[in-house]
Amino acid sequence: MQILKLNSNREEIIKAAVACLKNDGLLIYPTETVYGIGANACSHKAIDKLLKYKGRRQGKPLSIAVTDQKMAERYVEINQQAAKFYKNFLPGPFTVISKSKNLVDSRVNSEFGTLGIRIPDYPLIVEIIKTFNQAITSTSANASGQKRPYKIQDIFEHCSTKQKALIDLVIDAGELPKNEPSVVIDTTLSTPIALRGSLDQNHHHTGQILWSKSANETSALASRLMLNHLNQLQKNGLIFALNGPLGIGKTVFAKGVAKFLGIQEIINSPSYSYMNEYAYQRAQTKGTFYHLDAWKIDSQSEVELLNIQQLIKKNNVLVIEWFQQIEQYLTLEQKTTLITLDFAESKQKRKIVISES
Amino acid sequence: MSKILAIDTSCDDTSAAVTDGLVVLSNIVASQNQIHEKFGGVFPTLAKQAHQENIEPTINLAMQVAQLDWSLINAIAVTVGPGLAPALEVGITQAKKLAIQYNKKIIAVNHLEGHALSPLALNHSRKRGKQADTKVNLPSLAVVISGGHSEFILVQQLGQYQKLGQTIDDAAGECLDKVGRLLNLGYPAGPLVEKFAKKGQASKFSLPKAMTMQDNFNLSFSGLKTAARNLITDLEKQNKLDQQTTYDLAASLQEAVFGQIIYKLKRILLSPNLVAGTYPKRDFLDQIKNGQAPKTLINEIWLGGGVAANINLRRKIRQLLEKYQEQSGKKIQLKVPYSKKLCSDNAAMIGLVAGLKYSRNEFAKLDELDRKPNLTI
Repeated sequence: MQILKLNSNREEIIKAAVACLKNDGLLIYPTETVYGIGANACSHKAIDKLLKYKGRRQGKPLSIAVTDQKMAERYVEINQQAAKFYKNFLPGPFTVISKSKNLVDSRVNSEFGTLGIRIPDYPLIVEIIKTFNQAITSTSANASGQKRPYKIQDIFEHCSTKQKALIDLVIDAGELPKNEPSVVIDTTLSTPIALRGSLDQNHHHTGQILWSKSANETSALASRLMLNHLNQLQKNGLIFALNGPLGIGKTVFAKGVAKFLGIQEIINSPSYSYMNEYAYQRAQTKGTFYHLDAWKIDSQSEVELLNIQQLIKKNNVLVIEWFQQIEQYLTLEQKTTLITLDFAESKQKRKIVISES
Repeated sequence: MSKILAIDTSCDDTSAAVTDGLVVLSNIVASQNQIHEKFGGVFPTLAKQAHQENIEPTINLAMQVAQLDWSLINAIAVTVGPGLAPALEVGITQAKKLAIQYNKKIIAVNHLEGHALSPLALNHSRKRGKQADTKVNLPSLAVVISGGHSEFILVQQLGQYQKLGQTIDDAAGECLDKVGRLLNLGYPAGPLVEKFAKKGQASKFSLPKAMTMQDNFNLSFSGLKTAARNLITDLEKQNKLDQQTTYDLAASLQEAVFGQIIYKLKRILLSPNLVAGTYPKRDFLDQIKNGQAPKTLINEIWLGGGVAANINLRRKIRQLLEKYQEQSGKKIQLKVPYSKKLCSDNAAMIGLVAGLKYSRNEFAKLDELDRKPNLTI
């Protein structure tokens, strides 16, 4: 492994970095957010090496870094929504998801055939990519599940000798300012949706409004929300709290979650029996999906009967329909990730307000 | 014959029964419906607490009505699923306790199998006069329509089941209950929807009949629910939701729910190969003229579940079977449970399944007996 300090000769850094990438090597590089790890996104061998380094990905997609929209168009289909976003926000700390043209190694795409694109606001990196003339991966440089890497030490303290040996080149820019990881924006749904972070950093708890035009879109939304919350799922479990009138698509959302988890059984409404449970295995993760319906419930003792608190644990997902019926009786631990979706009907479309706490 | 003490606590109702083969000696349901109604449609069910309070008195009453002593009981049967896990737990714990106390064998029963076979139950007081009814002419089609289930099950042999189709979202009874609640008919609203429907005109409102475009035997009621909600919201806005409109809506709703069931039932009868689950082709349906419909392997239809008590649904199925007989020359008999109590959740149906299992020596090991909340058939 070679480490080059940022104050070394710029030309030399670029040359070394491009050589490393051409050789299917792994490159650790600074960005305006955290340190990233780059590999040739189109090379099977390079992605093999990257996945070996990152460790268990549990089906999380990678994303790629390019120089500009024109280069992005080689890899993805940029729709009107995405084009607008590129114009207003890039380069910058955003990852924009579009439909992949499948030029990259298949493991870089998401399971939905989409691909995240990043244009770093870091001229040196853009220049490296430009010279290399191929997209590089833009995932964070920590091994999966480890600390956010703001300095090289963060990375190496938390990886094994074996992992460390896979790194070919490090561009060390010292300690980076503690900026949040990039906000992920999905432009493949009819409303762009922020999958990670918030467009407005000061308003984490205000609801984000989405529109769904069909059951398929509601189901897709569920899958995307799951994909984005895999970390929380694997740590403490997840709760989706659904509110909204009869026949608005709450069970459709639950079906989307089940589909994401690879559950084959038909997901029926649990209104009558209060709760249905399904064991699932997705990649290496095993857990239980609990589908609850509080439609018939409105007393403390019934909520106690369901033992909801005990169901919330690592790798378990709870989807609770008619959540407002039981909200007041439920005390959740601080660490629990609760995603509330309020459904309403407006002009033949579903308006879904999402908030997270 | 084997005498069984059966317990069912799969959901809201605590029930115990004593059966002797297919004959029901007692069937006690400590119904919590009265508790529900008191709260006017908003209804704490207090399920577990009520089960625990009710279970022993319910069992004692079942034994008392059957006029049997524990020494005459051959085995204890209990529902292990599907249902609500903590509720199932109460019944299973009690069954284990009794099995140890009285040294009885234990039989685990699938609640759905109970509903499927419930039309075979025989009334104790009439059993001598109606021996002819005990003859079962297989294969049959079990149609379970309730608040929690909507399934079509092919029965080639007792104990051997093949699910042909099921709801992919809401159960039929649930749809009636939920839309009924929007019409302020309390809970469960299904029986009231039936009463109101008689006074209404089904043709007043046209609600969608889903799944007719899907080439399978599954059902779906969520789209219907959405359409009904929108319709009710509109009518309320226009201040038009008066008494007669509510009757008409109830009739239209019932028509849409039952219409879909009948539609799929007809497809099942016309299937060229039911065992393979083959859905009849559209052009094939068009070619059916009198006397040309294929003869199905089904000899009987068994209608079970809470909605099986609905007279309108029974009539619609009978009409379908008459028409089918004209088209194919084959007569199919419709069997329904002999009482309303046997339609909704009850332990007698669990007892009669257990009686059959007893004769096949299908007993559960005490230490392996466990709840199976998502058991299927």
